[in-house]
Amino acid sequence: MTQFYPPESSGFHQVEELLAQETKISAEPPTSERLTLHDTFDWRLYNNALAFIQIGAHYTLHNWNRQNTVDQCTFNEAPQFVWDLPPGLLRTTLLPIIGVRALLPRLDINRQQHGYRILNEDEKTVARITLETYYALQQAPDEPLLYVVLLDSVRGYAKETEHVRQILQAAGFRESDAPMAPGLLAAAGITPGSYTVKLNINLRPDMQAQTAVTLILRSQLQIMKMNEKYIKQDIDTEFLHDYRVAVRRTRSALSQIKAVFPEAPTQRFRQDFKFIGAFSNQLRDLDVYLLAEEEYKSQLPEFLQDDIHPLFEYLAEKRAEAQQAVAAGLESAEYRRIIQEWEHFLEEGNDERETAVKATLPILELAQQRIHKHYRRVIKKGHRILKDNRDEHLHSLRIECKKLRYLIEFFASLFPPEKIDQIVRQLKQLQSNLGDFNDYTVQETYLLHVAREMPIRGQPSRDALIAIGCLVGELHRKREAVKSEFAAAFSSFANKENEALVTELFTPRRKK
Amino acid sequence: MTIIAIYSNKGGVGKTTTAVNLAYLAAQSGSPTLLCDLDPQSSATFHFRVQPKIKKKARGLATPGQAIEDSIKGSDYANLDILPADFSHRNLDLSFYDQKKPTTRLRKALKPLTKVYETIFLDCPPTINILAENIFNAADYLLVPIIPTTLSLRAHMQLLDFLRDNGYKQKNLLTFLSMVDRRKKLHRELSEAMPQKLKGALPVSIPYLSQVEQMGIRREPVLAFAPHSDAAEAYELLWDELQKKWET
Repeated sequence: MTQFYPPESSGFHQVEELLAQETKISAEPPTSERLTLHDTFDWRLYNNALAFIQIGAHYTLHNWNRQNTVDQCTFNEAPQFVWDLPPGLLRTTLLPIIGVRALLPRLDINRQQHGYRILNEDEKTVARITLETYYALQQAPDEPLLYVVLLDSVRGYAKETEHVRQILQAAGFRESDAPMAPGLLAAAGITPGSYTVKLNINLRPDMQAQTAVTLILRSQLQIMKMNEKYIKQDIDTEFLHDYRVAVRRTRSALSQIKAVFPEAPTQRFRQDFKFIGAFSNQLRDLDVYLLAEEEYKSQLPEFLQDDIHPLFEYLAEKRAEAQQAVAAGLESAEYRRIIQEWEHFLEEGNDERETAVKATLPILELAQQRIHKHYRRVIKKGHRILKDNRDEHLHSLRIECKKLRYLIEFFASLFPPEKIDQIVRQLKQLQSNLGDFNDYTVQETYLLHVAREMPIRGQPSRDALIAIGCLVGELHRKREAVKSEFAAAFSSFANKENEALVTELFTPRRKK
Repeated sequence: MTIIAIYSNKGGVGKTTTAVNLAYLAAQSGSPTLLCDLDPQSSATFHFRVQPKIKKKARGLATPGQAIEDSIKGSDYANLDILPADFSHRNLDLSFYDQKKPTTRLRKALKPLTKVYETIFLDCPPTINILAENIFNAADYLLVPIIPTTLSLRAHMQLLDFLRDNGYKQKNLLTFLSMVDRRKKLHRELSEAMPQKLKGALPVSIPYLSQVEQMGIRREPVLAFAPHSDAAEAYELLWDELQKKWET
């Protein structure tokens, strides 16, 4: 089958006329179908050259790089999560790509097909032409997005097919095997990949500090707003995750990048964002525990694995309550007011903002100052732990590392990418050790707390307590193991090579 | 992969209409199907609007090869291809006769096609010579339409004798009643008697219907232009009974 794109806006009428002039054609009854393209909010399938298309109850996964159909399935209701899929190629292909994210309908299309049979003197069909017209149902239901002409040969009639191909080419039709899905999205004005939770801001070294930080904060506000709607609808756990990352970054910027804004609003918004961060803590924690159910079970001996289920039933109940609380919080007047005022504060030409000490400092200088300062703190705290090995110092170092990491990420565009990547990689490894230690600590404590609080509803609940106890023991053992790995992780970060790199990048230099 | 020969040693019994309609049904069920027209009269070919020509090198059908495959034409229907008849088929028995192992040449020639198609139908001319023996050796099933008359029955007995005398097994020979005119007393009586007398008789009786004659004018299988007609139902029943035989 060959695919052609017609010359500028010729519709099926013109193709019909063109073909009728040179061949005998017979029109088939036109058909109309609704297609829906499904993908995650952050376009994970698209980024892997995959298109998941629904027609009625039939779902097909296409790989447009390999130009093949990966798998097809029938569902009465649109599958949202990988765990809704039956075992098979579809599931194994999607699992590593979409993880815990939900599939959402992203584009609704109406496809009209006008088919024609090309006939010879015996009125035998020797080739088939299909004219497809695509319409975007939500965006512009009456304006065609795309026209495609498909030419299908019939076995044994190659000459006749070639004749039709030549007619089309002579009339300006371009043969193309460009994939359909990206073409449709582009025509509908949708740019997949435009959403990312990664920091994508390009700062210039001579930008004023206040301008640069405002850009960063605005981008984080955008991320918060984009995810809010989906959190309220409880689509999947990642919307809240991305939202909270944006909130944490906002808080970090307000605290760590000092004197860029006047003191009063800075303090006020720090408080506001502390409030915003806090009201979703419980929900996020519960999401994480529920996602970890299989992982936890695998850490138990086989004879206890089923017993722990009542714990997750209980957590699921609590989670439902927490979700409602968050949805209510996001709709509350207080929250809406904070966001409105924050947005206003970040607007250009806002006079309130000009009186800060470092507002007009070139951003490169400020970035270097802050990063260097926090790097030194990380080193100092790390060495302290090597001496006294105290848990609370480990927690304090973890927080310090986080501050450093956010700062480096904020200002990454000011430095050579490979060098920044190197530092971040090293820092990530140290953070991984500290993060695991913190996770185990928190989980131990939380599970003990839940075990004591969980209502006892018969023997299964009692059995669950035993399983929880066993799990807590396992977590504790792991915690101690991770703690013993700290020295190696820290030495690796604090080595001479990284020290030199940090000095090279972040020692503040004054241009005279 | 199954090869079914629609065969009779008598002419005008409804072989071609049977081949055309059964091939259509097989294709509709999703099975990649080939209808191979072995009759120089090329009626089956005509019904699908294909020109009765094959590549020069393929004439004689004695050897497998690309030329045979290159002669295949797609029908207007999904999953159904046609290997057209050629007037040169009038000498098929001679071309086989000249070769080594002359009665298995057709089976050999069809072998590459068995990898591509799930079902192959052979529309056969009414001969009982070397071509017929090639057909008996190539086909998994011999499907024989019989008109319920005395002469038809007599001709069928001759066929059974021939098969027995030449060492051909009869177990895959299936028969059904064709062109049955219930207004005729002879047809009615023999319609009842024959299935009981013949081994391999399918409980199917295709009536003589003008719809079937229409096929030659419309050049389409009756199931395509009159899918709910009596004729269509009769062929669907035949197809069902045939499939039941395969499953046992």
